[in-house]
Amino acid sequence: MSSEPLLRVENLKTQFFTDTGTVRAVDGISFEVYEGEIVGLVGESGAGKSVASMSLLRLVENPGEIVGGEVTYKGETIFGLEEGPDGELRKRDDMLSNEEMRDRIRGNEIAVIFQDPMESLNPVFTVGGQLREFIELNRDLSREKAREEAVDMLREVGIPDPEERYEEYPHQFSGGMRQRVLIAMALACEPNLIIADEPTTALDVTVEGQIIDLVDDLQEKYGTSFIWVTHDLGVVAEICDRVNVMYLGEIVEQAPIDELFYDTKHPYTDALLDSIPRPDRTVGELDPIEGVMPEAISPPSGCRFHPRCPDAREVCRRVHPENRVVDTTESAEPHRAACVKHDAFDVGYDESPPLEKEPQVTSEPDADTEAGVTGPGPGPGPGTGTGTGTGPGSSGGGGEGSE
Amino acid sequence: MGLLRYTTYRFAQAIPVLIGISILTFVLANLTPGDPVRLMLQGVEADQEMIEQIEAQYGLDRPLYERYLDYMAGLVQGDMGHSFHRNRSVSELIASRIGPTLLLVLSAYAFALATSIPLGIIAAKRRNEPFDHVSRIVALIGVSTPSFWIGIMLILIFAVQLGWLPSAGLVYPWWSPETYGHDGYVEHFVETIRHLLLPMIALGTLQMATLMRVERTQMIESLQGEYVKLARAYGVPERTILRKHAFQVAQLPIITIVGLNLSTALGGAVLTEFVFNINGLGRLFYDAIVQLDYQVIMGITMIIATMFVIGVIITDIAYAYIDPRVTYGEAE
Ligand code: SF4
Repeated sequence: MSSEPLLRVENLKTQFFTDTGTVRAVDGISFEVYEGEIVGLVGESGAGKSVASMSLLRLVENPGEIVGGEVTYKGETIFGLEEGPDGELRKRDDMLSNEEMRDRIRGNEIAVIFQDPMESLNPVFTVGGQLREFIELNRDLSREKAREEAVDMLREVGIPDPEERYEEYPHQFSGGMRQRVLIAMALACEPNLIIADEPTTALDVTVEGQIIDLVDDLQEKYGTSFIWVTHDLGVVAEICDRVNVMYLGEIVEQAPIDELFYDTKHPYTDALLDSIPRPDRTVGELDPIEGVMPEAISPPSGCRFHPRCPDAREVCRRVHPENRVVDTTESAEPHRAACVKHDAFDVGYDESPPLEKEPQVTSEPDADTEAGVTGPGPGPGPGTGTGTGTGPGSSGGGGEGSE
Repeated sequence: MGLLRYTTYRFAQAIPVLIGISILTFVLANLTPGDPVRLMLQGVEADQEMIEQIEAQYGLDRPLYERYLDYMAGLVQGDMGHSFHRNRSVSELIASRIGPTLLLVLSAYAFALATSIPLGIIAAKRRNEPFDHVSRIVALIGVSTPSFWIGIMLILIFAVQLGWLPSAGLVYPWWSPETYGHDGYVEHFVETIRHLLLPMIALGTLQMATLMRVERTQMIESLQGEYVKLARAYGVPERTILRKHAFQVAQLPIITIVGLNLSTALGGAVLTEFVFNINGLGRLFYDAIVQLDYQVIMGITMIIATMFVIGVIITDIAYAYIDPRVTYGEAE
C-alpha cells in the first residue's frame, strides 16, 4: 500500500437529472486501483456500478453528470472541483480537458470491455477494421503496422485463423468470439487499466469460464490493472484481488478477496454470498436476497440497506453509516464496511431495538418518522398488512447470481 | 451468392413483374371507355365502313389476347407500336421526351439527397435544440405540401415577383449551345441550371423532407448504439463517429426509401412538368390520356414501370453491398 495507486477515486458523485427527480446513481464512492491488480466492483443491477465506471472515463451520458469528488489517474486529474471566488464549485484548472481525455486517456490509458458483445461491434465494418482503427488511433501506428498488430492480437485472444477472420463481419462471430474481439481491442491499445463492465454476463457459463481464464492469463502476461464490474460474486472470487461491494450508489464493503469471503463485515455482502453457489454449501441452501433494491431516486433513510437487512435495528434507520475501517487487526490492508453494528461506529447499535420487518421498498421519504412500525410494536408477525409486504422466505425477486 | 450473381438474379426476378404490369395496363387501357377511332376522326365525316377499315388497319378488330401477344412480340424487339394521333412510332416519341424527365427526376433526387442527409445529421446531433425543431417543422410542411403547389409558389415568387429565374421550359444540356443562341458552354451550363432550379426544388422537396425525417431518426438511433459508446470510449473523435461509425449504419434504411420513393417522384414529375411547361414524358402521358392514345399510354407505362423496377433493384444491390449482413438470398 505504500506506492501511489494507479487510479484513485475519492467521494465520486454522479447524478442523473430526470423529470421525476435527481437520481443519485453514484453517491460518494472512494476506492483505489493499484498497478497490476484486479479490483472488483460488485452489486445488483442498478447499484451504480456501470455509471461509476463510465464516470472514470468522463463518459456519463445525458442527463447524467459528475457532480462531485475527485478522480486521479497517474497523478493527473480526470475530475476535480474546487471552490471558486464566488463560493460556487467549479472545475479545477488541472483537470484534463475533453480533448486530453479523448486523445490521451480513453483507449491509450484506460480501455473498456462492454457487457454486450452482440451490440458493441459495429455491424457494417469488418472486425479487423474496427480493431485496427482503435490501434491506429491509440498507439500512433501506421495502418500497416496496426493491421499486423490487430491480427496478432486476434491470435493472442484465441481466435483461430486470425488472418481470415480479420476480414469478417461481427455477425459471422459467435458471442464468445465477439467478446474475445472486445478483449483484443482493450489489450491491443496497451492501456494500463481496463474497465471490464459485466463482460461475461451475456455469455453462457462455459464460455464465461473460458473468457475468465483468458483474461486471467493475459492479465498476468501484460500486467494490466483491471476494474471488474459484475453482479456475480462467483466471478469475483475467481479473478479479483480486492473487492468493492456497491449498494444503491454507495460502497458498503471494501476488502481483499479472502477477507471479504471469509470475514464478511456487511450484511449485504453476506446476503450476496448466500445467493451464490459455493463449494462448501449445497444448492438447496441458497438464499435469494430478500426484496428488491429500492430506487436510487429516493433511497431509504439511514443505512440504505435497512429495509432488507436481517440485522437491522432502530438505529439503522436514523444513522447513515459511511464506509469505515472496521477491522484494524493484523491484515495489511484495511477492511472497510458501512454498517453500524461494528464497534467502529459508536452509535448504540447494541442497545437499539431490532426493527420489525417493514413492507418492502416503500421508499417513502419520511420513513424515519417511524410511521411504519408504530402499530405492531413488539407485536406478533412480520405482516403489518401494508399490501406489498413480502413475507420472509417467499421472496425471490431480488435473487441473483444464481442461474 | 456473389454480388454479380445476385444482380443477375434480381433482374431475372423483375421480368415476371414487368410482364404482369404490361398485362394489367394493356387490359386497362383497352377497357377505358371512349372509342379512339371516333376520337381520331373527330370533325371528319366518317361512315361505319371507314371506321371498320381503320380498325382493321390497326388490328383493333382482333381479340384482346392476340393484340397483346402481338404487342409484346413487338416490344421485345424495341417496337412499341404506333401513335394514331401523332403518326409517329411510340419509341421515337418516348425517346424524344425521356431526356427532360430523367433530368428532372435525377436532379430532384440529387437535390433531395444533398440537402436531407446533412440536415438530418445535424438535427440528430442537435436533438431537441432550436435547429432540430425548425428542421422538423420544415420537414413536416415539405411532406404535406403537394409538389405542384410548391411549383406554383416558386414560380410566383422567383419568376413573377423577383424575376430571378425562368418559369417555364428546360434547357437541355445535351443540345448544343447554338440551339439556344448561347455564348459558349459556360452560359449554356448556367442557363441549364437556372431553368432546372425551380422544377427541381418543386419535385425534390417531398423527397428531401421524407429523407430528412428518416435520416434524423436513424442517426439518433445509431448514435445511441453500443458501438458508438465503444468508439467514444476508445477516444474516437466525435466528428469521426458522426461521419463514419454512426453514419454508415444509419444510411441503410435511406437507401431503401430512395428506391421506393421513385414511384412518388415519377408521379410528381408528371405534375411538375405540367406546371413548368416541360416537354417530358409526363406531358406526353397526359396528352395521350386525354386523346386515348393507347399505344403511347402503354409505352410510357412500361417505361416508367421499368425505371421504377430498375431503381428498386439498384437500391437493393446497393443495400446488399453496404450491409454485410445481407446474404444475397442464400437462405432461399
Ligand atoms: S447498518 Fe444496520 S441496516 Fe445497515 S447493514 Fe448494518 S445492521 Fe444492517
